[in-house]
Amino acid sequence: MSPLLELRGLTRSYGSLTAVDGVDLTIARGERHALIGPNGAGKSTLFATVAGTLRASSGSVLLSGRDVTSLPEADRARRGMVRTYQHSSLFLGCSVLDNVALAVQRVHRVTHRFDRAARRFKHTEAEARRHLDSVGLSGRAQDKVAALSHGERRQLEVAMVLATEPALVMFDEPTAGMSAAETERFVTLMERLPEDLTVLIVEHDLEVVFRLADLVTVLHLGKVLASGPPEAIRADDAVQRAYLGSARTEDLFTDAGGPR
Amino acid sequence: MATHLVSVLNGLAMGSLLFAIALGLSLVFGMMDVLNLAHGAVYLVGAYVAVALVSDGAGVAPFVLAVLAAAVAGAVLGGLLASLTRATPHHLDQALLTLGVALVVGEGLSLVFGNDVHSIAAPEPVAGGVTVLGETYPVYRLLVIGFGAVLAVAVYVLVERSPLGSLIRATVADRAMVAALGVNTGRVLVGVFAAGAALAAVGGVLAGPILGAQPGLDEKVLLLALVVVVIGGLGSVRGALLGAVLIGQVQALGTALLPEYASFLVFAAMALVLLLRPAGLLPARSGVHA
Amino acid sequence: MKAEAEEIRGGTPALKDSIPVVDTPAVGGADHPRRRRAVVTVGVVALLAAAPLVLAPYPVSAMTRMLAFAVLVIGVDLLTGVTGLPSLGQAAYFGAGAYTAVLVGIHITADALVQALAGLVMGLVTAAVTGWVAVRARGIVFLMLTLAIGESVHQVADTWSVVGGSNGLAGMPPISLFGGPSLLAAGFVYWWVLAVAVLVFAAVALVARSPYGRTLRGIRDNEARMRALGYRPALARYGVFCLAGAVAGIGGALWAQQARFFSPGDMAFEVAALALLSVVIGGAGSLWGPCLGAALVLLVRDNLSASIGGHGPLVLGVVFVAVVFLMPRGLAGLTGGRLRVVTRARRRKENPS
Repeated sequence: MSPLLELRGLTRSYGSLTAVDGVDLTIARGERHALIGPNGAGKSTLFATVAGTLRASSGSVLLSGRDVTSLPEADRARRGMVRTYQHSSLFLGCSVLDNVALAVQRVHRVTHRFDRAARRFKHTEAEARRHLDSVGLSGRAQDKVAALSHGERRQLEVAMVLATEPALVMFDEPTAGMSAAETERFVTLMERLPEDLTVLIVEHDLEVVFRLADLVTVLHLGKVLASGPPEAIRADDAVQRAYLGSARTEDLFTDAGGPR
Repeated sequence: MATHLVSVLNGLAMGSLLFAIALGLSLVFGMMDVLNLAHGAVYLVGAYVAVALVSDGAGVAPFVLAVLAAAVAGAVLGGLLASLTRATPHHLDQALLTLGVALVVGEGLSLVFGNDVHSIAAPEPVAGGVTVLGETYPVYRLLVIGFGAVLAVAVYVLVERSPLGSLIRATVADRAMVAALGVNTGRVLVGVFAAGAALAAVGGVLAGPILGAQPGLDEKVLLLALVVVVIGGLGSVRGALLGAVLIGQVQALGTALLPEYASFLVFAAMALVLLLRPAGLLPARSGVHA
Repeated sequence: MKAEAEEIRGGTPALKDSIPVVDTPAVGGADHPRRRRAVVTVGVVALLAAAPLVLAPYPVSAMTRMLAFAVLVIGVDLLTGVTGLPSLGQAAYFGAGAYTAVLVGIHITADALVQALAGLVMGLVTAAVTGWVAVRARGIVFLMLTLAIGESVHQVADTWSVVGGSNGLAGMPPISLFGGPSLLAAGFVYWWVLAVAVLVFAAVALVARSPYGRTLRGIRDNEARMRALGYRPALARYGVFCLAGAVAGIGGALWAQQARFFSPGDMAFEVAALALLSVVIGGAGSLWGPCLGAALVLLVRDNLSASIGGHGPLVLGVVFVAVVFLMPRGLAGLTGGRLRVVTRARRRKENPS
C-alpha cells in the first residue's frame, strides 16, 4: 500500500533563494508527523507548497500514490488534503456555525444549492453541529466569529478542518500566540483526533511536538537534516547543533503567530 | 491614405489628452488603492474654467491663464479629495466618497453654467489649419500631440529618474514597507493626488477646443480614463501612456469607420486585453490584486 | 462599535482589496424572532398593497417606480452586501431588461408576465456575456470594471439605432395580464409590480439564506480560505453575477412597463450610482434596508428634486458623503447596533484580557 503523502525532491525557489531544497518525505496513513526547524528553515514554504498554495519549482507531491503536483489548492483539498494557517483564517463576518457548515456543505456537495434555506438541509446542519460539539464550541454556534477568543478561533479551525473529512490535515504552528492554558486545551484536542487521521504539524513549541508526534522531521536551510522518532531526534548531534542547542535563544526571537 | 493620417493624428491628440487625464487616476490607484470616481468631475472643472476665461477669438494669454487657473483648482480639489479619502481606511467607502464629490461637483457646475453645450475656441494664433500631406489639419491638435509627447518625457524623467519618482514607485510596490522605512507616505500621497487632479483639470482646458464642455462629459471622460488605466496596468506610468495611445487610436478609428460602434470598440479592446493580460499590458506590480 | 469593526478588519490577513465586512442579519436563530419577522413582513406587504386605495394616481406611479428600482437595488445588494463585490455596472442589465420588455411590448405581446420573463432572460444573458471579465477581479478593481462595462453598454444603447439611439424607445402599449384587458389604471400596474417585487425579494432572501448564500458570504469574508476548503470561488462569483443580472433585468422590465418608454438616460451611470447608494444607505447585506434606501433615493431624486430646482443629485452627493462618515452600516446598522454592543460586553466579561 502506498504511503498517504510522499514528497519527491520537492523544491521551491524565490528567484535565487531556494527556500525548500529537494525535500524527500514519506508519511504513512494515520501517522502524526511533526516538522520542526529554526526560523527560516523553510517550514512554512514547504507547507504551502505541499498544500498547493504555492506552486512547486520542481519535484512532486503524491497523495495516496497519485501525483497532485499540478493540481490547484482547491482540488487538493477535495482529495482530502487540508491545511490551517499560522494566523487563524476564518470567516469573520459569519456565525461560528456557518464557518463549520461551509466545510460540511462542500463535502455534501450542496454549495451551490439555493432552493431551500440552509437550515432545511438537516443532514448538513446536524453534521456541522456535531463538529462544533466535538471541539467544545456548540454553545457559541450563533455567535459571530469576531466575538471568539484566540484560543476558541483555533478550536473552530480544527472543527472546520475536520468537517472537510480530510485524509491529511496540515497544521501550521497551531499553538503560536496561545496562552499555556489554551495550548494545553489544544493539545488535548489534538490527542483526541480520530486514529486514522494523518497529521502533519509545523510547531515551534518542542514540548508540544514531542507529546504529539510519532515521527519528527528536522528542516534546516530548506533541506531535511534528520527524520525519525522523537527520542532519536532528541539524541541526534546534528539536530542538537542546528536547532535544539539554540532553542533557548530561538524562543526569544520566535515569530509567534499571535494576533497582530 | 490622407484620411487615415487624419484619423491617426486625431487618435494621437486624443491619446495625449487621455494620458494627461489617466495618469493621476492610475498613480492614485496604484499608490493607495483609491479609485477616484471624481476624476472626471475634476476634468470637467478644468473645461468650465476654460469656458469662463477663454472667449471666442481670444489670444494665447487667456488660454494660458485658464491652464494655470485649472491647475490650481484641480490641485485644490485633489488635495481635498485626498484628505477626504484618508478619513476612512476602507476602499469601498473611499470610492463612495469620491462618487459623492463627483455628483456634487457635477451638479454644482450645471448650476453655474447651465445644461447647455459650450464650445471653447482654440487660441487665435493656432486656431487655423496647416496642410499635412495634402490634408488640412488643425494646428491646435498638433500642439496637443506635442504637449502629450513633452508630458510623457517629463513624467518619465520625473518618475523613473528622480528620487521623488523612486519614492512614488516604491510606494506603488509596497506602501507598508515605505512607511516602515520612516517615510511620511501621507505627504507623498496627497502630493500625487493633487498633482494628478491638477493634470486632469489642465487636460480639461486643453481638451476644450476639441470636446467642449457639457454636463455628462465627466462620466464619459472618467470611463475612458478607467479603460486606459485597466488596459495599461494599474499604477504604471508607461502603462497609462500605452493605454492612452491605444484607446486614442481605437476611438479615432472607430469614429471614422464605425461611428455607431465606437464605444463598443473601446470596451472590446478592454475585454481583449483583460482576457490575454488580466493585470494590464505593462503592470506596475505583479500579483493577483494588481 | 467602530472599534469592533476595526478589530474585525484587522484580523483578516492582508486582503488588499477587502471591502468592509458587513453584518448579515442572523440567519436561522430561534423561532420567536422568525415568527415576528413573518408578521412584520405580512404587515408591510399589506400596507403597500393598500396604497392605491387611498393615494392619488401620481404618487402611486411614483411608488411603482420605487418598487422597480428596489428590485434593481436588491440585485446590487446580492453582489455588494452578500458577496462583497461592489458593483457600479448593474444599470447595464437593468437597461437590457427594460429595452427587451419595451421591444416585446411593441412587437410581440402586451402580456406583462412574458415581458418580465424576457427582461429576466436578457439581463441574465447580458450579465453572462459581459460578467466573466469582471468576476476575475475583486474589491475595488471589480468596482472599476463593472463601471466600465456599465458605461460601455450605456453608450452602445445611446448610439444603437435598433433601440432608438439617444431618443430611446417610445410607444410601448399598456401591459395586460393573462390575456385580460389593458391595465391602464396606475393602481393595477402598481399591484402587478408590487407582486413581482415581493416575489423577487422572497427569492433573493431565499438565496441569501441557502447554502449558496453561505458560500457567497464565505467568499466575501475570506476567499483564500474558501479555496483551502476545496471551493472554486470563481464559479460561485460568476453565478451570483448572472443572478444579479437577471434580477436587474426584471427590475428594468418593471420600470419600462410603468413608464412605457425607455431611454439611455434611464440606465446611465447615475442610476448605477444611486443603486449602490441605496445599498449603502440601507446597509449592505441586509435586504430590507436597501429597499428602504431605494425608496428614499428615488424620493429625493424625482420628487424633492422639483422643489429644489432639479438639483436632486446635489443632495444625493452630499448624502453619499454623509452616509460614509456617519452611518457606515446604513439604516440596517441602526437597529442592529444595540445587539452588537451586548455581544461585545459579554465577550469582555469572558476575556478580561
